[in-house]
Amino acid sequence: MNTSPLNPTEQAQGESAQVTTVSAPAKAQTRRFGNKVRDAGLAYLFLLPALIIFGVFAYYPLYRLFWYATHTQSRFRNKPASYVGLEQLKASLTSNDFISGLTHSGLYMLYTVPLGLLLGVMLAVSTHRRLKGIKVFQTIFSSTVASSVAVASVVFITLVNPEIGYFKNVPWLSLRNPTSALFAVSLSSVWQNLGLTFIVVLAALQTVPDELIEAATLDGYGAIRRFWRITVPLISPALLFLGIVLVVSALQAFAQIEILTGGGPSGATETLLFKIADPRGIRPLGVRASYSLGLFVLTAIVAGAQYSIMSKRVHYGD
Amino acid sequence: MSAVAFDQVTKKFGDTVAVDEFSLQIADGEFMVLLGPSGCGKSTALRMIAGLEEISSGILTIGERVVNHIPPRERDIAMVFQSYALYPHMSVENNIESPLVANKRAKVDATERTRRVHEAAETLGLTEYLARKPGELSGGQRQRVALARAIVRRPEVFLMDEPLSNLDAKLRTQTRLELVDLHRRLGTTFVYVTHDQVEAMTMADRIAVISDGRIQQVGAPQDVYEKPANLFVASFIGSPPMNTILGTLQGATENAAASVLTAEGTLAIGHPGSAQPGTELVLGIRPEHLHATDPVDAPGAVRATIQNIELLGHERHVICTVGATQMTVRQPNDAPPLAIGQAVSLHADPAEVHLFDPVSTERLN
Amino acid sequence: MATDPTVSAANEQNRLNQTAEKIVDPLVPAPYDNDKAVQSPRSGLRNAVATTTTYLVLTALSVIVLFPIYMLLLRALSSPLKYISAGQPLYPVSIEWDVFNRAFGQASLGRSMGLSFVVTFVIVIAQVLTSVLAAYAFAFLEFPLKKLAFVLVIGTLLLPIEVTLIANVEIIRKLHLLNSVPGLTFPFLVTAIGIFLIRQGFLGIPRDLRDASELDGYGHLRFLFKVAMPMSKAIIGSFIVIAFLGAWNQYVWPRFATDRGAWQTVQVALRTIGSENPGELNLGFAAAIVASLPLLALLIFFQRQIVRGLTAGAVKG
Ligand SMILES: Nc1ncnc2c1ncn2[C@@H]1O[C@H](COP(=O)(O)OP(=O)(O)OP(=O)(O)O)[C@@H](O)[C@H]1O
Ligand SMILES: [Mg+2]
Repeated sequence: MNTSPLNPTEQAQGESAQVTTVSAPAKAQTRRFGNKVRDAGLAYLFLLPALIIFGVFAYYPLYRLFWYATHTQSRFRNKPASYVGLEQLKASLTSNDFISGLTHSGLYMLYTVPLGLLLGVMLAVSTHRRLKGIKVFQTIFSSTVASSVAVASVVFITLVNPEIGYFKNVPWLSLRNPTSALFAVSLSSVWQNLGLTFIVVLAALQTVPDELIEAATLDGYGAIRRFWRITVPLISPALLFLGIVLVVSALQAFAQIEILTGGGPSGATETLLFKIADPRGIRPLGVRASYSLGLFVLTAIVAGAQYSIMSKRVHYGD
Repeated sequence: MSAVAFDQVTKKFGDTVAVDEFSLQIADGEFMVLLGPSGCGKSTALRMIAGLEEISSGILTIGERVVNHIPPRERDIAMVFQSYALYPHMSVENNIESPLVANKRAKVDATERTRRVHEAAETLGLTEYLARKPGELSGGQRQRVALARAIVRRPEVFLMDEPLSNLDAKLRTQTRLELVDLHRRLGTTFVYVTHDQVEAMTMADRIAVISDGRIQQVGAPQDVYEKPANLFVASFIGSPPMNTILGTLQGATENAAASVLTAEGTLAIGHPGSAQPGTELVLGIRPEHLHATDPVDAPGAVRATIQNIELLGHERHVICTVGATQMTVRQPNDAPPLAIGQAVSLHADPAEVHLFDPVSTERLN
Repeated sequence: MATDPTVSAANEQNRLNQTAEKIVDPLVPAPYDNDKAVQSPRSGLRNAVATTTTYLVLTALSVIVLFPIYMLLLRALSSPLKYISAGQPLYPVSIEWDVFNRAFGQASLGRSMGLSFVVTFVIVIAQVLTSVLAAYAFAFLEFPLKKLAFVLVIGTLLLPIEVTLIANVEIIRKLHLLNSVPGLTFPFLVTAIGIFLIRQGFLGIPRDLRDASELDGYGHLRFLFKVAMPMSKAIIGSFIVIAFLGAWNQYVWPRFATDRGAWQTVQVALRTIGSENPGELNLGFAAAIVASLPLLALLIFFQRQIVRGLTAGAVKG
C-alpha cells in the first residue's frame, strides 16, 4: 500500500470490494500531482544541472585546493607532485607573504567599508526629500552602478596614475608611495560602490513610515536626534547587508590592484586575492592553494553572516 | 452528479487528529453543510473529498468509486476556496476556462470551451468583466469568478470552503440566495463548509455539525435546531445561544408533567423522556421559549435579576442573572417595559425544554 | 490559525493579486518615490535658506560623484599627447571624435564587446533556467535527501570563484577549455543566489492557489510555466537584471580563463587597450565608456528591477 500505484484508478477499484483500513503515508504538504516516485524523479532531473555544475566547479575545486595545498609541485609540469601533508599549508599561512596579503586586504576593508557606508548614507539622506529636481540628483548618485570594477579602475587612472593622473601630485593619493597607494586604489572601490550603497540606503529610507518621523518631531526630537534614534535603527538591516556586501567585495579586490598598481609599489598593494591569482606567476601552486583555503575560511565567516541575514530578511520581509 | 460517502474516515497530521472516524452519507444532489467552530476539521474533511489531503484511514467514495488514491484532477469535483484562489495574472476569462484547458480529462474543443465559459459568465453576471484581471474586480465579483470557474467544468460534486466569509454582510445575504438558486438549477451535490450557522440554516438540505473532528449531529436545519443531539449542538446553533441551567428531575410519572429543581426555584418541563427522577441534568431553553414575569406569580419559575437589556429594533434580549448563571430572554419590542436591576420570575414553555445528561452531554428527551 | 480567518484570507487574496501585478517588495518601494519624503514646516525665509543649502550640498556631492566620469570623458576625447603638453587642464584639448572608431578598429574593441555579450547571454540564460528548475524542485516537490541538496546549494555561497580560482583554472585547462566560450561560462551556469531568490518567489504563491491549480488539473510543467513563473515574474525579472550585471562586470575569471588577447572579454581588455603607446592612451578611456554603455541602458530601462535585485541578493557590480 505504500508503493504508489501507477494506475490509481485501477487500484482504487480493486479496493472498493474490501472494507479494510486504508493507510497512507502521513506527510505530503506539497503538491500531489500524480505519483511520488515520478515527483522525486522530476525533482532530481530539475536539480541535475545545478548539482553537476556545483559539483564540478565548486566542490571538486575545493577538494583540488586541499590536494594542491598538501602537495608540492615541481616547476616542470611533467614531473609528479609529492605529498607533504599539512606542512606546506602551515608554512604558507604563517608566512610573511600571507600575513602581508591579509593585512592589505584588511586595510582595504578598513578604507572602503566605513567610508563607503558613510557616503552612501549621506547621498541617500540628502536626496530623501521633496524638492524640485531631486530626481536628477538621484539619477546622478545611482549612476556608478553602471560601472564595473575594471571600468572604475580605468576611470581612476585619470585621477591617480603617477604619470597622467589629475591628482598625481597629491601626496596622500600617490600610487608611488607604499603608504598611500592602497588608500588611493581603495577610493576607486568606494566610488564604484556608491551607486549600490545609495540605492539600497534610499530604498531603506523610503520604508521608514512618515508617521514615525512625524511622531518623533511632535515629541520634540531635533533633526539629528531623530536621525540617530529613529532612522538609523530602522534602516540598520540595510546597513548591515551593505556592510557585508562591501566587506566581501573588499576581500575580493583584484582588478583595481592589477589595473592601477600591478601590486606595487614593492608589493604594498598586493591583497590576498592578488597573491592567490598571482598574475606574474611567482608563487608555487601549493602556496597559492593554501592562501585560497585561507580566503575560503574568511569567505565562510562572511557568507555565514550573510546567509543568516538573508534568511531573517525573508522572515520579516514578506 | 454523485453521492459522497465517508466511511470511518480519519485524518491525522502527525499526532493531531483533524478528522476522527467520520461516517457521513451525502446524497446525490444534496446541499450538505459542514458546520463547526474554527479548527474542528471541516476544511480537512472537505479537502479529503477534493483529494488535497490524503486519507489516514477509512474509505471515501464519490459515486460508485473509492477515491482514496485517486488524484484530485481525476475526481471530477470543483472547489471554491475562501480566498477564491484566482490566478492573479490571468484574465477572468482565462481563469474561468482554466480547468477546461489544464485538465486533459475535461478538455473540450475551443468553440465548446468558449460557449461554456460565456454560459458560466452569463449565469454569474460576469460577461462584461471577462477581459479584466482579478485584481481589478471587487470582492463579490472575484467570488463569482471563483464560482464560474467551478461550474464551467460541470463537476459531479461542488466543494466550497467558506466562500462567503470575505464578503460584507449585505453581499453575503444576497450571495446566499444566489447559491441556493444555483444549486437548484444545477441539481449537483454541494458540500459547503462554514462556521456561520445562519449560512448553514438558510442554505442546507442537511447540516452536519462537527466539533473536535467528530460529527455531532446530522439532520435537516429545523431538526438540528429543534432537537439538538447534545449540549454542543444545542449551544452552537441558535443566536443568542440556548440557555442552560443545572437541576434535578422531580416527580415525573409516565404521563404527568414533570418539574426540575434548580438552585433558584423549580421549572415546569414537558415530558422528561428517559430521565429518571432524582437524576441531575442540564436544562436547555432557547431564549424565545423563556418568559419573564413579575416575581409574585412564581410557581414553576426561577428567580432572576435583570442585568442588561439589548435593544435590537425588532426585538430585545433581556439578560438575567439566575444565581450563578446567566439566562437570556428574547422578547418582542412591544412587551411590557422592564428595568435593569428589576427582580423577575423566569418560566419556560414546558414542551420546549431540552434535557441533557451532564456527563455524556447527550440529549435525554 | 489564531487570526481572524476573514482577515487572513482577505490578505491572502490581496497578496495573491499583488504577486503577479506590479508589486514591489515591501522592503523595496519604488526607488524614487518622492511623495514619502518628510519636511517639517518652516517659515518662508528659513525655508528658502534651507532649500538653498540643500541644493548646495547636493551639487557638491554631485561633483564628487561626477568628477571621475567627467575626467574619463575628457581624457577619452582629448588627444593624449597634446593634452599632456597643455598641462593636463580641466577642459578638453584638441578633441578627437574618432577615438571610438579607432578603439573598435585598432584595439578590436568590437570583438571583445561581442564576446562579452555572448558570455553574458549564455550565463544569464543558463542561470535563469537552472535556477527556475532547481527552485521548483525545492519549492514544490518532495524527494529524498532534499535537505542535503539544499545545503549543498547554499554551501556554494562559501565557494565564490575567487576562492576556487586557481583550481578552476587548472580544471578548465585540463578540459582544454581555456580561451573558449564554454571555459568562460561553465562555472557560472548556476548560482545559489538565483535558486534561493526564485525559490522564495515560488514559496510566496499561496497554498490555496496551488490547490486550485491541482484541482484544475495542472501538471508540473504547466503549473511551472503558466502559474509559478508568471506569478514570480517580478523576482525573476530582478534576478535577470542582476545576473546580467554580475556576468557583464566579471573580471577575475575571464582574466585567468584566457591567455590570448582574442579571447579577452571587454572588462579584461580594458587593462591593456591603449596602454602600450602613450599616444593612444585615450583609446583605453574610450573603451571604458563603451564597456559601460550596456549597463547604462540597463540602469535607464530597468531601474526598478535593479533596485529590487540589488537589495534582494548580495551581488557585486
Ligand atoms: N497541514 C496541516 N498540518 C498540521 N495540522 C493541520 C494541517 N491542516 C489542518 N491542521 C489541523 O487540523 C485541525 C483541523 O483543521 P481545519 O483546517 O480542518 O479546521 P477548520 O474546521 O477548517 O477551521 P477554520 O474554520 O479555522 O478554517 C486543526 O487543529 C489544524 O490545526
Ligand atoms: Mg477551514
